[in-house]
Amino acid sequence: MTTPDVERAGVVSADHLSKWYGQVIGLNDVSLTVPAGITGLLGPNGAGKSTFMKLVTGQLKPSKGGITVLGEPIWRNPQLYFRIGFCPEQDAFYDRMTGLEWVAALSRLNGVGESEALAMARRALDMVDLADAAGKKIGAYSKGMRQRVKMAQALAHDPDLLILDEPLSGMDPIARRKTIRLIKDWGRAGKSVIVSSHILHEIESMTSNILLINQGRILAEGNVHQIRDLIDEHPHTVYIKADHTRALAREFLAFDDVLSLKFEDEAVVVQTGRPDAFYARLTELAASGSLGTIHEVTSPDDNLQAVFQYLVKA
Amino acid sequence: MVIAKAGLRTFLSKKAFLGLLLISWAPFFVRAVQVYAAANFPQARQLLDVKAETFRQFLDQQNIWVFFITVYVGAGLIANDRRANALQLYLSKPLTRAEYVLGKLAILGTFLLLVTWVPAIVLLILQVMFAGNLTFVKANLYLFPAITLFSFVQVLTVSAAMLALSSLSTSSRFVGILYTALIFFTTALWGVLAFALGLQHAEAGAGRPGVSWISPSADLAQVGDAIFRVPLRYDSPWLLSLVMIILLVAVSGLVLERRVRGVEIVA
Repeated sequence: MTTPDVERAGVVSADHLSKWYGQVIGLNDVSLTVPAGITGLLGPNGAGKSTFMKLVTGQLKPSKGGITVLGEPIWRNPQLYFRIGFCPEQDAFYDRMTGLEWVAALSRLNGVGESEALAMARRALDMVDLADAAGKKIGAYSKGMRQRVKMAQALAHDPDLLILDEPLSGMDPIARRKTIRLIKDWGRAGKSVIVSSHILHEIESMTSNILLINQGRILAEGNVHQIRDLIDEHPHTVYIKADHTRALAREFLAFDDVLSLKFEDEAVVVQTGRPDAFYARLTELAASGSLGTIHEVTSPDDNLQAVFQYLVKA
Repeated sequence: MVIAKAGLRTFLSKKAFLGLLLISWAPFFVRAVQVYAAANFPQARQLLDVKAETFRQFLDQQNIWVFFITVYVGAGLIANDRRANALQLYLSKPLTRAEYVLGKLAILGTFLLLVTWVPAIVLLILQVMFAGNLTFVKANLYLFPAITLFSFVQVLTVSAAMLALSSLSTSSRFVGILYTALIFFTTALWGVLAFALGLQHAEAGAGRPGVSWISPSADLAQVGDAIFRVPLRYDSPWLLSLVMIILLVAVSGLVLERRVRGVEIVA
């Protein structure tokens, strides 16, 4: 299929697609077309995001219906995998290997020679800002670095379609900002990206085109702004691991959008009414370094789950 | 090929493994001296004469090294990938499950052939070189195919079984224990059954069918004896042993088909 054909037909096209695991339904009668560009897949944990992504990457066989990727059926079509990059949600590393060795080893599976694989790995690590840590063992990487090295292996072979399962999970604010920029650049370069998250704010910062998924069904597809107000009505929880959580908490108390905060282990857990504003200020704080390093920022999906329950009831 | 190459390189970079490979060749050097002595010193022939059985005995001796290398190399081949969650990434690349399994088989198979087929064939070549004629080889034309066939049957059986076990766990240590238990348990079971049924498993020709087919090690030994045309060591028919070997390889294939997946499905 030529590029205009793919643009017309969409990069992914599902026709009454279902996947069930024994009695458990992973995806239920989904028919959709994912257009070229960046598309966000938004849904709480267990909604069917990963099942959908694994069907798109050809790792799962549909129980019913069909799916085509870049105009071709993906199941048992390894030739198509050359054009796809996949970054899974779970860690998938050999801790004893360096980032460079690991990305190069996976690049070799694309059928390239050793020196070319090394060059591809270096370029990809540079793109995700890990060039300096390329020679370090993955075991010594932080959570954010691990996320980025996973992304590097996905984009090393310059795929047409990038599939990213919760790529921002656990990243510190600066790495998060860089990764979002990288994904947007990728989209601007004419590549397609499907990125999943359970945080609307994350998806919204990359694209306005979203697929809302819950309990194996696509609830809505299209522009993000229509549900945005609804989601903002629900408090958003952010879990922040940092060097100086108490100093950070003091700073947060001055934010008028912070509704509550508490300490958990070595982290501070904040509830905010305006996630956009909160994340923007958090990134500024991290960049200034005035309160030490912020190691990890995560958000549970309770708030989104509440919105989905509301949507389903409505 | 990529999987096999990477795996071979990983093991060859380990000093402990190279040491194991080197030690596993010790019986070869002893046999080489025997071949040399038999070819050059007529008085030594009475004690050290080289016969077709010598090659069968040599491959028998290598069984212990086959066991160690199988456990050392094979236990982690798939288990480590499963522990590292790497399968989902491998299989999202242009790599089929069959290519992945064949790559892993090639790693273990290569090292096992290095301690079975390769030294046995080199020994045969040494015999020709030391004797300075082809008399022995001409008289035993079946030896080359017998060494080759038996080595490949043994390597395929052992590798397939070990890979199947390796795909069942995320701990290479546990897989090693499981494999060892499988070998010893089946041998023990065979002994107990033979005792209970009044069959002496170590003696052939008792006129009653034996139960050695329960043990994969005994099955390989029995089929090996048949291939090398030497008297069978156990009572079970060698064809039954062959069927058991084929069954073991088939079951291993089935296990691998179900376990080697990018996505673990828990229904």
